[in-house]
Amino acid sequence: MLTLFLLLPLAGALLAIALPAHREGEAKIIALCFSALNLAIAVVMYVVFDRGVEGYQFVDRFEWITGADAGFSVQYVVGVDGLSAPLIVLLGLLSVVSVLVSWNIDLKPKQYFAWLLILESAVAGVFLSLDLIQFFLFWELELLPMFFLISQWGSGRRLYSATKFLLYTLAGSALMLVGFLVIGFGAHTFDIEALTKAPPQETVVPLAIVFWAIMLAFLVKLPVFPLHTWLPDAHTDAPTAVSVMLAGVLLKMGGYGILRIVLPLMPNEVHDFSKVLATIAGFSVIWGAIITLRQTDLKRLVAYSSVSHMGYVLLGVSALGPVGLSGAALQMFTHGCITGLLFVMVGMIYDRTHTREISQLRGLMHHMPLIGTVFIVAGLASLGLPAMSGFVAEITVFLGSMGPHPAATMAAVFGVVLSAGYILWTIERILHGPKTHDFHDLTDARKWWELTAMGILVVAIIGVGIWPAVLTDTVRMGIEPIAKIVEAAS
Amino acid sequence: MLFPDIPEAAVWAIYFAPIASFVAIVAFLRSRPLLAGRITIAAVFVAWLLAVWALDTVSGHDGESVGFASHHWMSLFEFEVDLGIRLDGLSAMMLFVVTSISLLVQIYSTGYMAGDGGYARFFAFMSLFTAAMLGLVMSSSLLQLFVHWELVGLTSYLLIGFWFHKPSAAAAAKKAFIVTRFGDFGFMLAVILIWSKTHTFDIFEINEAVHHLPRAVVAGFVVGLLSGAAGKSAQFPLHFWLPDAMEGPTPVSSIVHSATMVAAGVYLLARFFPAVHAAPGGIQMLIAYTGGFTAIFAASMGIVATDIKRVLAYSTISQLGYMVMALGLGGYPAAMFHLFTHAFFKSLLFQGAGSVSHATNTFEMPLMGGLRKHMPITFITFVIGALSLSGIFPLAGFWSKDEILLDAWKHDKFLFAIATTVAFMTALYMFRAIFMTFFGEYKGGAPAEDHGSSHDAPDAHATASTDAHGGHGGLHESPRSMTFPLIMLSIPAIFFGLIAPSGFFGELMEGALDPSLRHFHFEIEPVVLVTSTVAALGGIAAAAAIYYAQMPSSSMIRSRLGPLPRVVERLYLVNEIAETGMVRGVLQGAGRGAALIDKYLVDGAVNMAGYATRFAGDMLRRGQTGQVQANTSLMLIGVVAAASTLMALSGGLIERVSPGLLDRLMP
Repeated sequence: MLTLFLLLPLAGALLAIALPAHREGEAKIIALCFSALNLAIAVVMYVVFDRGVEGYQFVDRFEWITGADAGFSVQYVVGVDGLSAPLIVLLGLLSVVSVLVSWNIDLKPKQYFAWLLILESAVAGVFLSLDLIQFFLFWELELLPMFFLISQWGSGRRLYSATKFLLYTLAGSALMLVGFLVIGFGAHTFDIEALTKAPPQETVVPLAIVFWAIMLAFLVKLPVFPLHTWLPDAHTDAPTAVSVMLAGVLLKMGGYGILRIVLPLMPNEVHDFSKVLATIAGFSVIWGAIITLRQTDLKRLVAYSSVSHMGYVLLGVSALGPVGLSGAALQMFTHGCITGLLFVMVGMIYDRTHTREISQLRGLMHHMPLIGTVFIVAGLASLGLPAMSGFVAEITVFLGSMGPHPAATMAAVFGVVLSAGYILWTIERILHGPKTHDFHDLTDARKWWELTAMGILVVAIIGVGIWPAVLTDTVRMGIEPIAKIVEAAS
Repeated sequence: MLFPDIPEAAVWAIYFAPIASFVAIVAFLRSRPLLAGRITIAAVFVAWLLAVWALDTVSGHDGESVGFASHHWMSLFEFEVDLGIRLDGLSAMMLFVVTSISLLVQIYSTGYMAGDGGYARFFAFMSLFTAAMLGLVMSSSLLQLFVHWELVGLTSYLLIGFWFHKPSAAAAAKKAFIVTRFGDFGFMLAVILIWSKTHTFDIFEINEAVHHLPRAVVAGFVVGLLSGAAGKSAQFPLHFWLPDAMEGPTPVSSIVHSATMVAAGVYLLARFFPAVHAAPGGIQMLIAYTGGFTAIFAASMGIVATDIKRVLAYSTISQLGYMVMALGLGGYPAAMFHLFTHAFFKSLLFQGAGSVSHATNTFEMPLMGGLRKHMPITFITFVIGALSLSGIFPLAGFWSKDEILLDAWKHDKFLFAIATTVAFMTALYMFRAIFMTFFGEYKGGAPAEDHGSSHDAPDAHATASTDAHGGHGGLHESPRSMTFPLIMLSIPAIFFGLIAPSGFFGELMEGALDPSLRHFHFEIEPVVLVTSTVAALGGIAAAAAIYYAQMPSSSMIRSRLGPLPRVVERLYLVNEIAETGMVRGVLQGAGRGAALIDKYLVDGAVNMAGYATRFAGDMLRRGQTGQVQANTSLMLIGVVAAASTLMALSGGLIERVSPGLLDRLMP
């Protein structure tokens, strides 16, 4: 089942590329079918998922590179647990959304949709892999579609931004590979499940160094201050769909990596450095929020708010208790939906007004009430309004982190006040105010793909906000074993 | 007790009735505004009936909690949230107040909002507000309360910004949300703090647990609650959003920003009164003096304001200050009684102001005058409300205010002096408003705005201007949908105080507390009675002298006082300090600085790394001459160097760092 989830988009990509030139417009239909099918698989998997047992489910495994002499082998293993299952659903959701918001792409559509599908596959590989080498391969594979999507279909300084994104991630992942190799050689296996059960005790390089080598890659991806400057550039110049994927699922790879690999494999080091991580997190939240207050470009604004909100993930991780860790996992899912929706809305506004400068937009609520309303919903969710998913995640993080890191938690809670500031300021500037003639011929969202894209995410955000158990019961099963390992190490 | 005990489902129905009307309007009735209004009224009427039943049940239990089990909502390890209803004297009283006022305001709105393009949207928001407010007061869990607290803030935001085409309304809405969020920062920390110490959200359990917690924790918790309460109930220094909130439609001011939502802060402190009571004395002093200072501070601004709604807004802040002060002094029943009576007469006064502007197209009192002949019902009910607010015997405000003054008299003579001064000022600004609005000559109001085909009618709206036949002919009493709620609200404004001497209300409220905290009994202190009545009558007399008889005239007094009135009119510059100083100065400055650092230092370093790499690449490229001889010799040198290094190290360094590594790498 999971292998199918992994391979279907690739098959779709091949099919899209194989289209004859005069039918290249149909690439989007192929992309939609395959991503919708994948979403269906994800949902079925999530429903069937057994919330009564810990550990991995739906595991597919076969040996890939056998190296029995050396005592280890590289294998293909995929599986989900309570931590990755929601992220797979998120990936399925946002893939469909990103295809939908790309419906008007007419520049080389075959290649565009093929890359988009490959991207889905690569990210799926990261979330599903239970082998370090395999994880790394998919981690690197994701760079390829991202680079081309930004540099070919982007805007502004797209080549600069794409290169920056590439180099940042590569620099991080080079260190990560070294770290993986050290761990793998130390424990004679790359199997994550086996490593979790018996973390390497001694390695060639001190584990503290390995910890930071791997952590750096994940912190770049998350991102946190001061490793975040690639994010605003990449977002600003990327097409809408890529922004949705980038903010929605790619950033989650960082948080996922920390929870899946760093914590269970190096629990002692995590304890040693938890204060450092909490400080980075608290600072990142405030720093991101303060800079967001100054942004004049809608997309940059949402991008910087991501830096602030992803700080909550790191804060939850640094708390090291089950509640904080669950909060981090929840925040990853919820931030994906909320920021994804915000980027969708910014894209819709840009499509109509051809500007993202806040100073040039005003009174849009009169011309496009539906877009305005959904923008407000997304904004309110982003500022952590209860009855929406963001609140559940944030309060969980705070409850978990207050005990171990009171100062960082207070800073992060203050970040919530600041987020109210920039969100409401933006709403006031672009949506409210008198009617203007500049925009009198703009149409509201009426196309089915726009309505579907907004609808899916609004339902996910409010649904989780009102009935969080749909998410928390699963997350709990994934976090419990990790939390046990971490607590045992203290 | 007239009826059998109310079942739990019926109490939930109080909450879900307005939610149902919200959903119905959003889903089906966006284009059928009249039906939207009627559905809302029907839903709130059902809620009101059930609230009366709930109140009846609770009074049968002497105010003690009717035990309903709570329901599991979510759990993550120790983080467990149960939702439930806490129905006791305190919450039943609030349910009654919220549904009564909401019902009358919805009826009033059908007249006031008639012809507005956003009619259906208005009732959708009002339904949502009513539901959120009811959810807030019936919550059995602190987190549940917090969720509704924020939702109430959201609906307040939506309703203040209802006419979002007006930049002032959009700005006021944003300001209200952000300022109250600032207070919620403290509230949220209090929630997190108390959970991390007790691992429960249950209000009852928290109120029990405070006796066993370290005093510092209780102090921190109560200060956090106070911060949240100060934001919602507009207490100094977070008071300055409320006057701006008057940009919203008047029915909104009448329910959200006078009677219910702004009272939520007071309710919060009352709900956690056992915690407040257990907090160190200094914290209780802080609460009492915050309230006392706010009361006199806001009253002084009420005296100089010229916008009738702003006068009422300052009055609201001032009266909420009374309640907060009473809570700080331990006068929990008195605070709740004042909340109860104040809700009715302040809602009445706001609706009166709305009725006046319906006729004159303005809220500016200098443009009014002489309205008593044209609007007799509005006039009489407004005077009833003003008398009640001023605390004239035997109206409702007299009884509740006297209980607060009595608490101040018993515990803190200085606060008693302040509170009595506030009583004088209250009567002064209320009757100043009455004399300016209803007496003297009509000054013409504001010209009717030409709305053209636009449906976004502003506050003084289209129907008023179409009725106008120029000059005085435009003055008219408001339609029955508006005068009916005025008359209905005058009844509690007159009579509800009379329950005080029976002690019924105080006992009902104290039923919510632990028996050890119950010591209410009705008493009368002649000194308090006389001073407060003298102060109120003095205030009315002063207002009559200045604004009716004009001896001395207000301009003469102004000239005597020098720059003071101007400072007060500029609202003690709090707006300037908060907006220019804090927001523009500190936050924007920090934002600018941070953005520069981010761009030049953090990102600069990244770009520098890029340039350095390219530079190094350029240098190395020079070496790539492509000559075979050079390449080969370089390669040879490299191999030799590498091999010798490896050999040198193999025995030593690597072996020491990690024994056996080389064996593993090169088997």
